[in-house]
Amino acid sequence: MENTINIGIDLGTTNSAIAKFVKGDVIVFNNPLDYGRSTLPSVVYFKKDRIVIGNKAKEYLERDPKNVVGLFKRKMGTSESFQIKSINESKTPIDLSAQVLKELKTFVNTGDTLESAVITIPASFDSIQSNATKEAGKQAGFKQVVLLQEPIAASLAYANMKKSKELTDGNWLVYDLGGGTFDVALVRIKDGEMKVVDHEGDNFLGGSDFDRLIVEKLIIPKISEEYTFDDLENQMKSATGKYNAKYYSLLNQAEEAKIRLSAVSSAEIIVERMEDEEGNEVDMEITITKSEFNDLIKESIDGTIEMIKTILTRNSMTSNDIQFNLMVGGSTFIPYVRQRVEEVLQIPVNCEIDPTTAVSVGAAYYAATKQKEVSTEKSDKKQTSISIKASYNKASKETDELFAARITGNTEGLFYKIVRQDGGFDSGLKELSERINEDLPLVENTYNFFTLTVYDSQNNVIETDIEPIGINSGFGISGQPLPEDICLEVDDYDNPGHTRLALIFERNSVLPTKRTLTFPINKPILKGNQSDRLWINVYEGPQTSLPEANKLIGVIEISGKQVSRDIAKGSDLEITIMISESRDVTVSGYLNMSDQEFKNVFNPKERDTNITLLKGQVLDLSSKLDEEIELATEKEDYETASALSKVKREMEAVEEEADKLTDDDVTDKRYQLEDKKRKIAQEIDSATKNKRLQKATNHYYETKAECEEIIDESGNDHERKTFNDIVSQESAFMATKSPLKIQEKSDELHSIIGQIRWRTPDFLKGIFAHLQRDQTKMNDQSQAKSLVDAGNFAIESQNWDRLREINFGLLDLLPRGSKEEITTKIGFGL
Amino acid sequence: MLEPNFKQYKPYFELLDQLFEIERKLESIQESNSISRNLNKMKDIFETNLFSNSTSSEIGFAYHNPIGETYNETRLDLEASIAGNSTENLVIKEVIKPIIRYKSGGSTLIARKGVVVVESKN
Repeated sequence: MENTINIGIDLGTTNSAIAKFVKGDVIVFNNPLDYGRSTLPSVVYFKKDRIVIGNKAKEYLERDPKNVVGLFKRKMGTSESFQIKSINESKTPIDLSAQVLKELKTFVNTGDTLESAVITIPASFDSIQSNATKEAGKQAGFKQVVLLQEPIAASLAYANMKKSKELTDGNWLVYDLGGGTFDVALVRIKDGEMKVVDHEGDNFLGGSDFDRLIVEKLIIPKISEEYTFDDLENQMKSATGKYNAKYYSLLNQAEEAKIRLSAVSSAEIIVERMEDEEGNEVDMEITITKSEFNDLIKESIDGTIEMIKTILTRNSMTSNDIQFNLMVGGSTFIPYVRQRVEEVLQIPVNCEIDPTTAVSVGAAYYAATKQKEVSTEKSDKKQTSISIKASYNKASKETDELFAARITGNTEGLFYKIVRQDGGFDSGLKELSERINEDLPLVENTYNFFTLTVYDSQNNVIETDIEPIGINSGFGISGQPLPEDICLEVDDYDNPGHTRLALIFERNSVLPTKRTLTFPINKPILKGNQSDRLWINVYEGPQTSLPEANKLIGVIEISGKQVSRDIAKGSDLEITIMISESRDVTVSGYLNMSDQEFKNVFNPKERDTNITLLKGQVLDLSSKLDEEIELATEKEDYETASALSKVKREMEAVEEEADKLTDDDVTDKRYQLEDKKRKIAQEIDSATKNKRLQKATNHYYETKAECEEIIDESGNDHERKTFNDIVSQESAFMATKSPLKIQEKSDELHSIIGQIRWRTPDFLKGIFAHLQRDQTKMNDQSQAKSLVDAGNFAIESQNWDRLREINFGLLDLLPRGSKEEITTKIGFGL
Repeated sequence: MLEPNFKQYKPYFELLDQLFEIERKLESIQESNSISRNLNKMKDIFETNLFSNSTSSEIGFAYHNPIGETYNETRLDLEASIAGNSTENLVIKEVIKPIIRYKSGGSTLIARKGVVVVESKN
């Protein structure tokens, strides 16, 4: 157990944060409900049945002031309390601060039990206010609370960042301009002791005021100039005004523009989706320049400078007595703030620490030096045994689903919270009772997981027996799973002249389902030419078998007769395959070049057999069969050869019948033939599967050895990891006994090899030498010559990156004929 | 669950915001060039192609336009500004930025909150 406190909390007027000292460093915890942010708005929202703290509460602050409280830190230590309408109770600033502290405890994901903390307070806090802060800490469950002044915390963050804990004796300023408040403090260090000597502040000045200024002083006048409005500003700012919603939209854009202006010299705000009084659509792009923005905030910044001057005068000091001005708070990101303050005061500004987290970071450093003084009494009274019996629909088509639970055990003084694991929903803190109900909003078409956590009154987690709540949402529920793989037939580029299947939907995918793939076509389709054809063939059956062995469930033929213009090789064909709940297959092919779509719906009950396709397949299958018989005989694999010869006889009969079939045959003949063909293909498939498997396996192991060697020689960490990932899956994909699956893995290894080779000098030189031999064939001789010269120079100067580019350039210059021409059937492939 | 750090994807989110804007503009015009096809293709690339590799399942980002949906304080997928006087029965009236979800296999995460203006429908 740690002996020092280590936890530091910035309990701010507008935003709070929590940090922890761990082994010499400080981590600021992220807000688990607000990605990317480590701060929590210090705002509390009471609803009848729940308490919401932070960002969501802040959204309601202006609109529901009777139930939402913010800025309560200003009232710390006063007898004032806030009457909350929804719960008909009043809450003191201490109660509210305790709520914020409790919420901050949920940020800590390191599993610590939080009993001690350093909490920061403004320099201006007197002892009553300080005690009130301590009290809030106690209420939030901290047994030991140590207070630290914010400017000191910021200074500590700076000192620790500089790794020189001993700052030299002297004075500096801490300039803290946040979202809604401004504070400045004069800090003095003498003999190692740091002290706040003087301070000033404005509780109503911060970054959000600047956003408002942008909208009111720049945007609204510009819109009014171009369009007709009666008092646009009022219409926007009044809650009952016609353009009130637009006002908030513009504030948002203004904030973004403000942030952008810290980096660039101008930012655009687009005003649209709004009509003026005469019905004209507003469509404006308003440019805000850095200098316009600077003019806008100048007055406010000068006000802060005046405060510093007051401090200096009061302490009979001049700018020369100040070492630096430490910038803290999000608004000090604005370059003009830094620049103006430095320029007028002639005190160097110091922007070395992260202004948004500095105070909590400093508090954590301080906490690391403070001894824990908590008696380690066993807090076993917390071991309340709570049992939760939950009831809800595990699948739902609704946008939300009712969750109900019955709780056994003593629920008194306990709270619960339900959050969705994707970070999109938080019920807020609700009182636990014997029965609880909650509407859980669902994200469509996905599994929604929720967790229910029970807390005690100090936000310590109470263990329960409830499991994560999982609800499947969307149409997937009632849909049936696919009984077989659905595949698309593609040209097999590894095996020219043949086709293979590409998996579109895996077996057991839930219907309905849809997928779009894009392929560059590998042959031109000339307008009017009947023999130029693309085939979109969709098959049902295992991905690993031959296309002909599977059942064709959808086919589209696109020929030159149908296209509205010539379609070039290499242009895109976009294929969309959709399967409905009732297993209707919709196939569409879209040719990018002609902007034409070919679409067909195939009903599973009616078969659609295309005779041209069938005849072609029979021919292919027949020649494939001959090939296989020959191979088997050659290898003296007589068992396979005889099995195949038997098939051959059936094949011949089918061939004969197919030959007789006319394109407009109306009988059932085509279906019978299709069935026979499929059966033959399956037989060939099973007779030759071993051979293909053996081939793929051998190839895989060869590739693996090659890949391992080249990685050892010149691979980087990433490539090694990819390699190891593939190898670690080896037993799994080998077990599938699928030649295609294994081939896929060999391909992945090959691409690693290729990747490495293309940066090894020897390989690049080899390719270059090879290309140089073909120089006379190249399409553009003068370009080829200059590339070759450049290549020789690159080799001389050992500029391998350049040589790689040159090789690519030369490859492009090769005449088409010398690039391998492949025979294609389908028109696109893998 | 480890929260992936989405900061590095910010430029992609900005692109998605632009697609969202284009989609919204397309809704209001009649056009014959099937621009929406190209738009949907781009959305599809973001959702299934751009970040996937052959060894893992489909990973990507998709945006969701929450216009017209109901709003209350439990919705963490949105940052809202409340217009008007009432905070009851809030609906999303204007979407400044859509919600961006990270999708990996069957699960999703909020990668970037949507930014909206809400108003009571009463």
